Amino acid sequence: MKKCVFQSLRSGIRVGALLSVPFLAQIFISSAHPSSPQKNSDEELLALPGELGRSGGRLVVSLRGEPKTLNPLIATDARSREVIGVMQADLVHINRATQLTEPALAKSWKVSSDGLQYTLVLRSGIKFSDGQPLAADDVLFSFRVYLDENVHAPQRDLLIVGGKPIAVRKQDEHTLLFQLAKPYGAGERLFDGLAILPKHLLEKPYQEGKLAQIATLSTALNQWAGLGPFRLKEYVAGQRLVLERNPYYWKSDSSGKRLPYLDELVFLFVPNADAQVLKFQSGETDIISQLGAENFSVLSRQMKSYAMADAGPGLEYNFLFFNLNGDTEKTSPELRRKQKWFRDVKFRQAVSAGVDRAAIVRLVYQGRGAAIWGLVTPGNHRWGDEKLEHPQRSVEKARELLKQAGFSWRQGPDGDQALRDPEGNAVEFSILTSSSNADRSKMATLLQDDLKQLGMRVQIVPLEFRSLLDRVTQTKDFEACVMGIASFDADPNSDVNVLLSGGATHLWNPSQAHPASPWEAEIDRLMQEQLSARTFEQRKKLYNRAQEILAENQPMIFLASPDILVGAKNTIGNFRAVILEPYALWNVEQLYIKNGTENVAR
Amino acid sequence: MSYLLRRFGHAVFLLIGVSILAFVFTALAPGNYFDEMRLNPQISPETVAALRTQYQLDRPLPLRYFSWLKSILHGDMGFSFANDSAVAPLLIARSRNTLLLTITATLVAWALALPLGIYSAERSGHLPDRLLSGATAALLVIPDLALVLGLLVLAVKTGWFPAGGMASLDFEKLSIPARVRDLTFHMFLPVVALVLSALPLLMRHVRAAVLEVLAAPFLLAAKGHGIPRRTLLYRYALPAAAHPLISLFGFSIGALLSGSLLIEVVMSWPGLGPLLLESILARDLYVVIGGVLFSTMFLVAGNFLADILLYWCDPRIRAGNKSR
Amino acid sequence: MKPRHAVSRWVTVLVILHGIVACAGFFAPYDPVEQNRNNPYLPPMRLHFVDAQGHFHARPFVYAVKLREDTFDQYEDDSRQPNPVRFFVNGSRYYLLGFLPSRLHLFAGEKNRVCLMGSDGYGRDQFSRFLFGGQISLLAGFMGAGLTLLIGWCIGIIAGYYGGFLDDLLMRVAELFMALPWLYLLFAIRAFLPLSVSPTKAFLLIVGVLGGVGWARPARLVRSVVLSAKERDFVRAARGFGANDLYLMRRHILPETASVIWTQLAILIPQFVMAEMTLSFLGLGVPEPAPSWGNLLSSLQQYSVLVSYWWMYLPALLMVPFFLGYLRFASSLQEHGEPYKMEGGVLRG
Repeated sequence: MKKCVFQSLRSGIRVGALLSVPFLAQIFISSAHPSSPQKNSDEELLALPGELGRSGGRLVVSLRGEPKTLNPLIATDARSREVIGVMQADLVHINRATQLTEPALAKSWKVSSDGLQYTLVLRSGIKFSDGQPLAADDVLFSFRVYLDENVHAPQRDLLIVGGKPIAVRKQDEHTLLFQLAKPYGAGERLFDGLAILPKHLLEKPYQEGKLAQIATLSTALNQWAGLGPFRLKEYVAGQRLVLERNPYYWKSDSSGKRLPYLDELVFLFVPNADAQVLKFQSGETDIISQLGAENFSVLSRQMKSYAMADAGPGLEYNFLFFNLNGDTEKTSPELRRKQKWFRDVKFRQAVSAGVDRAAIVRLVYQGRGAAIWGLVTPGNHRWGDEKLEHPQRSVEKARELLKQAGFSWRQGPDGDQALRDPEGNAVEFSILTSSSNADRSKMATLLQDDLKQLGMRVQIVPLEFRSLLDRVTQTKDFEACVMGIASFDADPNSDVNVLLSGGATHLWNPSQAHPASPWEAEIDRLMQEQLSARTFEQRKKLYNRAQEILAENQPMIFLASPDILVGAKNTIGNFRAVILEPYALWNVEQLYIKNGTENVAR
Repeated sequence: MSYLLRRFGHAVFLLIGVSILAFVFTALAPGNYFDEMRLNPQISPETVAALRTQYQLDRPLPLRYFSWLKSILHGDMGFSFANDSAVAPLLIARSRNTLLLTITATLVAWALALPLGIYSAERSGHLPDRLLSGATAALLVIPDLALVLGLLVLAVKTGWFPAGGMASLDFEKLSIPARVRDLTFHMFLPVVALVLSALPLLMRHVRAAVLEVLAAPFLLAAKGHGIPRRTLLYRYALPAAAHPLISLFGFSIGALLSGSLLIEVVMSWPGLGPLLLESILARDLYVVIGGVLFSTMFLVAGNFLADILLYWCDPRIRAGNKSR
Repeated sequence: MKPRHAVSRWVTVLVILHGIVACAGFFAPYDPVEQNRNNPYLPPMRLHFVDAQGHFHARPFVYAVKLREDTFDQYEDDSRQPNPVRFFVNGSRYYLLGFLPSRLHLFAGEKNRVCLMGSDGYGRDQFSRFLFGGQISLLAGFMGAGLTLLIGWCIGIIAGYYGGFLDDLLMRVAELFMALPWLYLLFAIRAFLPLSVSPTKAFLLIVGVLGGVGWARPARLVRSVVLSAKERDFVRAARGFGANDLYLMRRHILPETASVIWTQLAILIPQFVMAEMTLSFLGLGVPEPAPSWGNLLSSLQQYSVLVSYWWMYLPALLMVPFFLGYLRFASSLQEHGEPYKMEGGVLRG
């Protein structure tokens, strides 16, 4: 449950938005209310606490480009998921503000004592955006589709717990049983982001094997219905996507008024980050998120009709890693020689000690970020290991470590000290960065200078992103690389494939059949154990240990984590930015336009 | 007529050649569309492999080429992985917007480059010419993107023009004249940016070509006959200098689809630019190949037009052709 | 007489400008990659002659700067700390003209660094970066433009002069070259290059490839000129007198193409310098920390730089004289050439 962010790549998976107040959701059967349309007495609305808003109005936000599809079964890109997020809903939802789970389409759930069976009770009387009722059969259908190998849904791999697909059974019209093969540490977080699909619309295309072809942008209007706060109204190719209020939405505010407040939500396609800033500044868009520090300070300087907010460090962690892949016949002799250094833990520790993280935070993020020494960022409140050390940069310590590892210095031709390995070779290597990610390129430039002071000659090789991916994941022809990963969720399970030696995103040496080193084996054991541990305390202890082993061995040299920076017009009510995706629209159903300031035609 | 047929034959061969080489190039470049998923830990390598098979990316190149040719007959031009739809409709919808922008800009640019270039040639070495040279040199060093951003900042500060985009949100509800006005408003800045980026090259060439004929004996003679300056420049000098300019005009036509990519991206113009740029980086290769073929067609048309114009406007070539 | 004078004048200007860039190490006060992390985005320093007390100093000085509290990039001058400029001082080591090791710099601050054009986001001296950056960028510009024009010129002349089938064939190949998605080929080349190839060499290679495949446009332009030139009366007359192809080309056709070639050259060199911006966006440019004009310009493409750090535009401003020099050089050469004089000469002869 996590994703990698490089350049514009932000593949999100979380759906929807929920409570704004960090307390348990209050669930009650709402009484009929005159202002709510078509309300039935048997409808179990979810009432949200929070500021009461006024209905109506239009909210405009920009999107970095067109979403590729509105079909959650094939969407893997961030933009599609952001839009799908406000059109679909899940059974259990992770509150983006509290980072805890809350009831959604399921009004309650129970876990059996062995942790293998989940019983979910569906909210009754609620309807899809086309007015058709939601029933247990829709849930059964959804899981059948997600788990069908021929559909290739990206959600499928998530639903395989302990090597076996989750089995779903219907107990009665409102109660569903989920049977797991093994206990799952993160528990009901599993259900977050799994959109419940309308069986009445999709059954036929599914039988015909055409599920992947429907709900493209131009055809989704009558082919799909969702349970999210908004539904599709209009799509103009290359320009915008207009969503309208879902009149059957199943949440209300604390006064019982049916949400969402907004009549329309417009996504404008603005492919350039600077153009997004300008559009926000000129008032053409109401909310801006995913801002860089430079643009944030430009906007902050001229604040007038809008307010900027720094939500603090998010879950993105940037790091340097070396190529620790095992030997194959394709490994060049040169790389083999260099890997001798990379495999030396003292060498990696020395690099880590020689890195100026404070400078990265200041020069790359203008201070709007945090230095990190592990993959749990300061934004993750529950899972960080308090015992983890945060050593300041120390060139002396780095040199000491290198000396211990048998490295030495020789006077170079230009009067500088050149580092030599025990065999007398000069220490030179290259760092790959993605050319389209300015932040990470800057980090590499700073690293290059830091390491020069240790006598290492580092070359920066910016590569276009696909070429970089090809080298790192396919040909394994690289020496070192700067990358970043942003976890989706604060739970350790979102990073499990980075830590497990068999994981595809265990970047320094991915998809190993057997752990290449004892410490990797130990991390594997700890992560497997926490995966099925039952209590938070147990899991925390195991995960802390994994973080410590990681810090000792430095396979990833953690650098910094940027703040989540957002801005919104002063007229937007209930606006609050969080550090989990979607940073600004997570409570879109509660956003409203204040005191009659209609967003008039622009 | 046979000439036209021959040119048509050439064009078909060219398109086939371009498409084959485009296939080869895209196959050579590292990475493919589904690589990005490998970094999503929720998706197993097996799923990625299955998708690759489903979209036939693991088939040998010649087979893929022939199935692509077949899809052209259906009017699809292949399949866009990213957009989950056929390529041709995607490209056609976007090309219209691009052409609206670039045709306007090309006309304006030529309408400015001709008089400015002629004026500069006539006043060669004098102050106006030097000022224009200076401005040209300055335009050559300002990056297109910086220029566009500058214009956008201007738009935001003054509030005169919208900050990018092609139409207001309520475009569909507007009356016809209001729509035209809205569109003109949105088009203004990108057109200015395109004109400014094309102008230096055009102007320098017009100036060079006109300068060359200005000293020709027939013009001196014409001048001696007391033919007014304007007639002299536009009726006599310009046609005589037309050769390289016609070729240049051919390029302008050829660049109609491909010349405005970056400007469209920054101006959020819903043309081919944002689509192609993203497709190139995402290795959505059939969209790229489709885009290449579309612009090839314009290129061929531009060159063809230039050749026709060359033969039509120069009696010497016509005569020379006959005499051979 | 006047045009000849103009030609030599512009040649002198260009030689001086390029001389400065070639000897960047001497004119630049600092190492272009040396970072000063406490001074990111330092505005240009003003040279003073009169200090805060009103005393005149013959030696120019700048004031030391101080970062304002709680800011990232706001500075103020510290008028109590003048920092005199010293001339002919020893500083960082460099290679003059690429091979002569030296430490002598034209000027440098006595105590702190003097950044005449301010500093970039890493606190590196922009003035030094501009001078050093010119070396690789101008080299790439000459190489790319030269290669493009050389190939384009040859092919354009052959196509225009011989016409017929050869013309058709060459022009179709030209169209093919103009239409191909070279970008992917460049990606492929970059992918096949081992990482041990220095990124700067890789960049020059990429520019070389770009120059090699860009011949189609100049070829078409040259061809159109040749087409009209070969039907001119004096050429036909010469042919009638039995002049062979080689003579005709050398004596009459080639001079006609000069104006197109010079104009193209003056425009192509800046375009190749600018092309680096696109190339770096795609990971094919000159990588950090090495300076290049393309890198300097590409930082201008950010909104935040545009509105916050005006001095980042100074490099662009300083590039104008170079490119203006090429334009003026091209046009004065053209005026000097005056092909119609030759026409008269031929007819008389």
